[in-house]
Amino acid sequence: MSKQGRTRTVEEINEKIRKGDAQVLTAEEMKRLVESSGVEVAFKEVDVVTTGTFGAMCSSGAVINLGHSDPPIKIDHAWINDVEVCHPGAAVDLFIGATNMSEKKPFEYGGGHVIADLVAGKEVELRATAYGTDCYPRTSIKTTLTKDDLNQFYLLNFRNSYQRYNCAVNGSDEIIYTYMSKLLPRMRNATFSGAGELNPLMNDPDYETMGMGTRIFLGGAQGYIIGEGTQHSPKNLNGTLMVKGDAKKMSPEFLQGASFTKYGTSLYVGLGVPIPILNEGLAKKTAIRDSEIFTDIIDYSVPRRDRPKLGQVSYKELKSGSIIVNGKKVRVSSLSSLKMAKKAALTLKTWIEEGTFFLTSPVERLPTNTVFKPMRQTEEIPFVVSVMHPAVTCTEDEDIRAIAERIVTKSVNHIVVVDDSCKLLGIVTSWDITRAMAEGKKALADIETHNVITAKPDEPLEIASKRMAQHNISALPVIDIEKRVLGIVTAEDVSKLLGR
Amino acid sequence: MGRILIRFNEEQVSEPITAQIIIEYKVPMAILAAHVNSKGGEILVEIPDESQEEIVNAFRKRGVIVTVPKLIEVDAEKCFSCGSCVALCPVEAISLDKDCTVRFDKEKCVGSTCSICVDACPARAIKSIKHNGDRSANSRVKRN
Repeated sequence: MSKQGRTRTVEEINEKIRKGDAQVLTAEEMKRLVESSGVEVAFKEVDVVTTGTFGAMCSSGAVINLGHSDPPIKIDHAWINDVEVCHPGAAVDLFIGATNMSEKKPFEYGGGHVIADLVAGKEVELRATAYGTDCYPRTSIKTTLTKDDLNQFYLLNFRNSYQRYNCAVNGSDEIIYTYMSKLLPRMRNATFSGAGELNPLMNDPDYETMGMGTRIFLGGAQGYIIGEGTQHSPKNLNGTLMVKGDAKKMSPEFLQGASFTKYGTSLYVGLGVPIPILNEGLAKKTAIRDSEIFTDIIDYSVPRRDRPKLGQVSYKELKSGSIIVNGKKVRVSSLSSLKMAKKAALTLKTWIEEGTFFLTSPVERLPTNTVFKPMRQTEEIPFVVSVMHPAVTCTEDEDIRAIAERIVTKSVNHIVVVDDSCKLLGIVTSWDITRAMAEGKKALADIETHNVITAKPDEPLEIASKRMAQHNISALPVIDIEKRVLGIVTAEDVSKLLGR
Repeated sequence: MGRILIRFNEEQVSEPITAQIIIEYKVPMAILAAHVNSKGGEILVEIPDESQEEIVNAFRKRGVIVTVPKLIEVDAEKCFSCGSCVALCPVEAISLDKDCTVRFDKEKCVGSTCSICVDACPARAIKSIKHNGDRSANSRVKRN
């Protein structure tokens, strides 16, 4: 600490680490200290605060170099344990993407598992093909490898450690499987991700101490921040990190393959950043609590980029196990492991205390002004609203004969059954009428379908079309949130527009 | 307390078999899960251990399939305590303890009739082993 005690430098802290008297607290401990003794005392006493997170980080991967075979091969396509890997460079460099799935066991095994298996010391099978050149004549190879056989095995994650993330619910009537895991219909559960008050970026939201060259805890070994992560969006408190580390030194405990049913595979990554308490401001920032960190509750059933926001919720509420959405209590679980996040922060603390981990100042701090833009699209896709047309309707008290006549005069196949306020009650098709005639049924109630499969106006047409195929039906009434019938979309409309 | 899974076919489902057995044997049965419609169904019931043999036989005598369902199995080695399963469990058999470790309560779990947590586990640490109870009892009923 400098003489006035107003600031300290990374060099001073490293000197203390060397002497074994650096004061290191985990983010959890720091918050308790600030609460009990105040910012001033915390700044005086604490040199470093360790943070941690452990979650599914899909934008992760590993670069490996295989060395050359004899005769040499310039790999064109390659698979490890049946997971296709990329060949971004010359002959024998490969990139294992965490979300690439096994061709034999898709959704169950993928690139994340390959990385985790290699880290755990397991043997993997490599298959590769090539077109053959004068300098690289070989056209195929099959071999087994462990991490010890690789020249380089570097974890290279282009987006990790999201500062905070959405809370996900499903407002539809059907179960959905997403990267936010299994979401039960009618908001019967909610999921969230992120470590909240333990997250590295949340404890230094102005990125005073973080950037290119910051030494961190990554996957159970020492790694580095190499810049902002992709989609880094600091103004919305959605900062991210790009990181790298020597995977040969990492531990399987902090790098685990993951399978999300009907979504795909991923890699859980344990990551912790030490925050040097250089000034009182940082002591205050590292005292941030879950109750001060908010995120949006998002309805993931809406298949659009901008999904409806149903409210805001704090990480304190999220970690309590239940939240209130639209006045209803909804049970909520975390997708990332708080237990492992705490363990990452604690392990990092131990390394610094033992003098095996020294802090670095970033060569270039993370940017604070980046904007995350949506994709530029040169082609618009059709939505349900662009093809739907007025529905021919009837009420429940009408008799079958009148409905049959309407089918003929309006030349349609589907009649939507509605109540006085135009709310959806059911549907009757020309086939239902034919069957009623054959079976001598007279009442609409006997032939009407009540459990109607519907569409929403802002859904992409392709999704509505898939729903028709999935249920083997030829039309969907289009309804609003209150179940009022806005129109109808038919398989005919779809084929006219999409040419199927 | 023990748990048994009782499966009714289309003919049996309209008869008050469970009620008759409760009255006849004067044994309390707690219904933990039930999926029943006109085509048949299954119910998971909890009965006192000392009555289990007697009750299982009483159902089987009436031609009903009775199995002792296996519970959900959790591989503690694979589980990294993310907690995705916690809010899904309808009977609150899964919880996070003070240090955020996922705890699984076998007593509360209704077993493989539910299985809602199984495909939500990113670590694939949860397995449901379906009805591998008394196979001979099943085959006897199938012949009838």
